[in-house]
Amino acid sequence: MSVIQEISRSKQNVSPRRKGDGRWALFFLAPWFVGLALITAGPMGASLYLSFTDYDLLSPAQWVGLENYTRMFDDPRFLNSLAVTFTYVFVSVPLQLAAALGLALLLDKGMRGLALYRSVYYLPSLLGGSVAIAILWRQIFGADGLVNQVLALFGVQGQGWVSHPDYALGTLMALNVWTFGAPMVIFLAGLRQIPQMYYEAASIDGASRFRQFRSITLPLLTPIIFFNLVLQLIEAFQSFTRAFVVSGGNGGPSDSTLLYTLYLYLKGFGSLDMGYASAMAWFLLLIIGGMTVVNFLASKYWVFYDD
Amino acid sequence: MSTNGLRTRHGKRLAASAAGIAAVALTLAACGSGDSGIGGGGGDESPAAAEECPCEIRFAWWGSDSRHESTQKIIEAFEAENPDITVVPDFTDWDGYWDKLATSVAAGDTPDVITQEERYISDYSTKNVLADLGTLEIDTSKVDDGVLAGGQIDGTQYGIPTGINAYAIVADPEIFADAGVELPDDTTWTWEDYVTTANAVSEGAGEGTWGTQDYGFNEAGLSVMARQRGEVLFTPEGELGVSAETVADFFQVSLDLLEGGGQPDAARTVEYQAAGPEGSLLGTNQGAMGAWWTNQLGALSEASGHDLELLRMPGESAGERTGTYYKPAMFYSVSADTAYPQASAKFVDFMLNSQEAADIMLTDRGLPANTEVREAILDGLSPTDQKVADFMAEIEGEIVDNPPVPPHGSAELADIMERVNTEVLFDRITPEEAATQFIEEVNAATAG
Repeated sequence: MSVIQEISRSKQNVSPRRKGDGRWALFFLAPWFVGLALITAGPMGASLYLSFTDYDLLSPAQWVGLENYTRMFDDPRFLNSLAVTFTYVFVSVPLQLAAALGLALLLDKGMRGLALYRSVYYLPSLLGGSVAIAILWRQIFGADGLVNQVLALFGVQGQGWVSHPDYALGTLMALNVWTFGAPMVIFLAGLRQIPQMYYEAASIDGASRFRQFRSITLPLLTPIIFFNLVLQLIEAFQSFTRAFVVSGGNGGPSDSTLLYTLYLYLKGFGSLDMGYASAMAWFLLLIIGGMTVVNFLASKYWVFYDD
Repeated sequence: MSTNGLRTRHGKRLAASAAGIAAVALTLAACGSGDSGIGGGGGDESPAAAEECPCEIRFAWWGSDSRHESTQKIIEAFEAENPDITVVPDFTDWDGYWDKLATSVAAGDTPDVITQEERYISDYSTKNVLADLGTLEIDTSKVDDGVLAGGQIDGTQYGIPTGINAYAIVADPEIFADAGVELPDDTTWTWEDYVTTANAVSEGAGEGTWGTQDYGFNEAGLSVMARQRGEVLFTPEGELGVSAETVADFFQVSLDLLEGGGQPDAARTVEYQAAGPEGSLLGTNQGAMGAWWTNQLGALSEASGHDLELLRMPGESAGERTGTYYKPAMFYSVSADTAYPQASAKFVDFMLNSQEAADIMLTDRGLPANTEVREAILDGLSPTDQKVADFMAEIEGEIVDNPPVPPHGSAELADIMERVNTEVLFDRITPEEAATQFIEEVNAATAG
């Protein structure tokens, strides 16, 4: 006990310089803290306050307590936007990660021109959030778009995909899957970390490719899968631009692409119901936060740390 | 995204904590997206009693590049006449305009002269953002009383109409000729005639060309139909004044057209709706008719390259009365908080009454509300605008009255129409159910 105290005291004693470093560190971090306080924390506090008010931007906010939060659950469009968002997230993210992992496994074979392929597949991730791609998507899945032209070659009469309420969300999910480049690059890096000797040992034991994948690659990759999963889930919950552009700004046709953030925006800036929109923002924080906590708790059971 | 931390076994822990940190950061960012900045809009600095100029006023408007250029010229002309007043332009496109205006009002930075529109003017006037123009020196004697009333709410003049438009059927005679169908007589045609004509054009013109484009996304058509039956979309008190039966009949027309082939299938219809005048059936020479505002004739004609015609809405002679009306294209409004109400009023007066301004603006803000300058610009108009002016003059005697300003919350009407109409087109609800849904949603939107 006393030994430990001794050691810790002596540790403190030998670090006068470190204290100085700390002060400098604070100094260099100051701009970031100022930004956090003014640009992020300030508006966040404001939005938390506004979420308990009736505020239309034009007249002063009126305190209404929890009304905005209770009102949500009587709002059929809100409930619909939740359903649309959950469908979008829980269908497209697993598909996106599967595509990313699949491509990463292929590219990990050390083929020629790897750098080129990696860049090519990464490109959609850079472009995917952009307005230009969303507009292009509208064209591709339009009634006379590329998809239907290709289908026509096979004698199939296609649909107007983006403008049909049954399929419009599907085109958005396809767009999300298509931006698998970012998780793919992380998977690639993860695959490189797996020591080659495990595979050599396994081949000597006569393990098949599939067996190697299941028993070596997957378990050792679980931390990376977990990382990607958390990140992509959060990102998917916050998708806005693509739904905004592909639906023409209103979540149409007939609210089939009304993602949560899009409805939030329409409430805030369309109906000038800022109190409600702020409450929605905080509720989204709760959803994402809660989901992330569940994710971390569940990770104990499937994520394997090799130490 | 750094992958350095993954290098060691220990690093995998790092990866997990990185995921944690990223999770927190991103969730925090999530709520950054919906907030608005705090503070009330009602600034209480009273305008200076005696204005001191030289002064600077800000004029906000939305529009296309051509409007920005012409407005800039009008500002220059105004400044040449009033060297002590500087007008600062503040413009965006339509989509961004209302976001920007709402946020600048919230920030206490309201433009001095504001362009308004009928769906928003109630919201802004009831929130005391707009000045009572009756107390300012603006000469409105050359504006028709019925038109001027379009900018009054509870008897107070919050906006002065810039110009007027009417809702009409635009027709392409070339496609009618190709289909072997005669152009209908718009002084007598009924809604049934409209459906049969459109179906006949689709039939005659063959694959890929249709009789008409669906009209169900725009509440103006519903308003005209309601007025023909002696109803109104909104009463002067701001209540919904249309019967469920009329709303159902309105959507039934679309279904009849779908069934008879007079308009494209539902998915295509939604696409054409989103494509604006340029990508519309008329604009792409794929359709013979469409319901549009008269000021869109120019864009439609240019896109199609054909000589398009304006027809009265169907049912004008068959109903209890005519339904067509002059809609104020937009309004000039002045901020209630402006430090320079007199300079702002002077500028509005200039845009409304000066011949010089009208000669530059032409019909860009609708056919000028000031009838005197309207007469004077007629000769300078393009053939298309000339056609609009003729049409407007032709229907003038038939117009019974103009509807009152729609109530607070009516900005959501367009979205409601779009949703309900899409459900009808895709056969998810019947016109009767659509009527119930429409009435419920509009009542909810205008109640708050």
